[in-house]
Amino acid sequence: MSNDHSHLRGQSALSAQGLVKRFKTGRTFVEVLKGVDFDAKHGDVTMVMGPSGSGKSTLVAALSGLLEPDEGNVSALEAKDLWSLSKGKIDKFRLDHCGFIFQGFNLFPALTAKQQVMTVLKYQNVGPGEASRRAQAALESVGLGPRVNQRPSELSGGEKQRVAIARALAKNPNLIFADEPTSALDGKSGEIVIKLLRAAATERGAAVICVTHDPRLEAYADRVIHIEDGRILDDVRRTPDANPAPLSH
Amino acid sequence: MSLALATLLYEWRRYMAAVVALAFSGLLVLAQVGMFVGIGKGFTAQIDRARADIMVLGPGAKALFGGPSGLPRRMIPLVYSHPEVTQVAPLDGSGGRFQNILSPEEQAKIDARTKAAAKGGRQAGGEGGGRKTEFVNVTVIDAIPGYVTVPTDYTQSMVEALRQPYAVAVDQTALKRLGVKKGDKAIYNGKTITIAVVTTGYPNIIQPTLVMSRDTLRMLGEADTGPRVAPLMVQIRDPARAEIVAAQLNKKGDGKFRAWTRQELADANSSAMLDDQIIGIMLGFSAFLGLLIGVAITWQTLRGAIMANIKEFASLRALGVSMGDLRNIVMELSFWVGIVGVGAAGLLTWLVTLLAAAGGVPMYFPPSLIIIVAVFLVIIAMLSGFLSLGILKNSQPADLLR
Repeated sequence: MSNDHSHLRGQSALSAQGLVKRFKTGRTFVEVLKGVDFDAKHGDVTMVMGPSGSGKSTLVAALSGLLEPDEGNVSALEAKDLWSLSKGKIDKFRLDHCGFIFQGFNLFPALTAKQQVMTVLKYQNVGPGEASRRAQAALESVGLGPRVNQRPSELSGGEKQRVAIARALAKNPNLIFADEPTSALDGKSGEIVIKLLRAAATERGAAVICVTHDPRLEAYADRVIHIEDGRILDDVRRTPDANPAPLSH
Repeated sequence: MSLALATLLYEWRRYMAAVVALAFSGLLVLAQVGMFVGIGKGFTAQIDRARADIMVLGPGAKALFGGPSGLPRRMIPLVYSHPEVTQVAPLDGSGGRFQNILSPEEQAKIDARTKAAAKGGRQAGGEGGGRKTEFVNVTVIDAIPGYVTVPTDYTQSMVEALRQPYAVAVDQTALKRLGVKKGDKAIYNGKTITIAVVTTGYPNIIQPTLVMSRDTLRMLGEADTGPRVAPLMVQIRDPARAEIVAAQLNKKGDGKFRAWTRQELADANSSAMLDDQIIGIMLGFSAFLGLLIGVAITWQTLRGAIMANIKEFASLRALGVSMGDLRNIVMELSFWVGIVGVGAAGLLTWLVTLLAAAGGVPMYFPPSLIIIVAVFLVIIAMLSGFLSLGILKNSQPADLLR
């Protein structure tokens, strides 16, 4: 598959200023994000780490156009103010530019691996022949070439997550959001998954934003942001390890 | 294959309740209409299988039964005067009280049984085989082989048998009800008749019908001899020209009568039946009930099934598939549920028809009825899908980020 976005490497893909999000619990409001600034570059794997309840998932939801923040501004790619767009425009933005990988794989039980990928492409108005070709290529790139006609019930957890990655990558997204992509997987599968995300950033120039609390994934990151209690604690740029230690023990 | 269809096929157990609900909604309507139309067909079996190509009724009459359908006798020569008409005969009929006659042995048996039952303190009667009284319809044929009033499936020997004085034909489905068998004597309006012929395929579950020759009816003193006659059965030289000749006769009659082709009249008969107030109300109510039950169960089933896949729908939302597209998936899904429901309704109705046939209840399903019920079921399913759309609001992709 062609690598559309590699020429953008190093440029800012996503930036946010002063994100605030409050949730109502009972009569009081809990402030989950307390004025977070954030940015991510093409070609980078940006890790967002923190304990549960730190607000990292809420941050990703606000960045990706899934959950509107109460305050603050998100600028992503050509959308200077993402949250000023209409809901339909935000849907279109996600359709055109965003790939998502969740902790639960969220695959339709009735569809084969290839159909899962093709379903999303169909909504991008990709013709059936082209969609089939791209789905096949995406599944092969995640090492599932021989399993394209299996349904989720016939796949292991790691294979399901790879189908979900293929589903996200087949769109050729600029922005890839992954939320705890490895926490439901064994070490070996987790390693395959994080390597695929790493490759998507390096080879395709996508901005990968990965939420995790697994410290072993740090080895693959260009940048690690620690968040706690709705605030960014530190923001470290690093060089990804050339030969990271295996995730399995 | 689309997502909706693949989901329905793969997770068919989840959608079974909806399909079954639709099937029974369809059965409720189909079986009832089928039965009413079947009964209507029973009334007109003799017309459907008549040799007549054209039937002439009084103006305004829509059906052979259930209303004044006769016309003045002087119309007969007018119809005859059309050059293509070869035979004209009025379809005379009557009706009256029918009683079976028991042989002395049978009578003795029943008396003994009654006595024993009385001694034992139990109620008498109960078991059939006793004296029976029924009101019956009478229609006539002319006992001439191949004559216009003789149904096409009457054999030569049946017509010969009916030519005997006081000989009648009874359908086999009516034998038990009338308490007679072939060769028995019975009493019709106080006069003795003989069950000479047993026909098949003329069921009438409302009132049994006797068929006799026009001469027997005259000997019974019930034949039309007045200025008015019953509907006319008309045979023409070329049956393929029935529509043209009927139109020409109508022009000739100038509103004094109406000529129908056989098919026209059969159709009018069944629709006249459905126009009937009570039947219309019953059917309307069944359809309403079917709609209510179908929608309620299908709606709840669809809701549950969508809820079971809500996370997958949410992941599509996250990937940018719009709410409108998800709604389309649900509507397509309910459409396919409707289509499967139509198939299931067809299967169930077929089974019920077999059961009914075994019990001697005629059922008939006009194609237009089948199409209406099929559309009705798909509408139920789509309506249920429409009601289930609200559940998609729960597909919040932000909920997947946990």
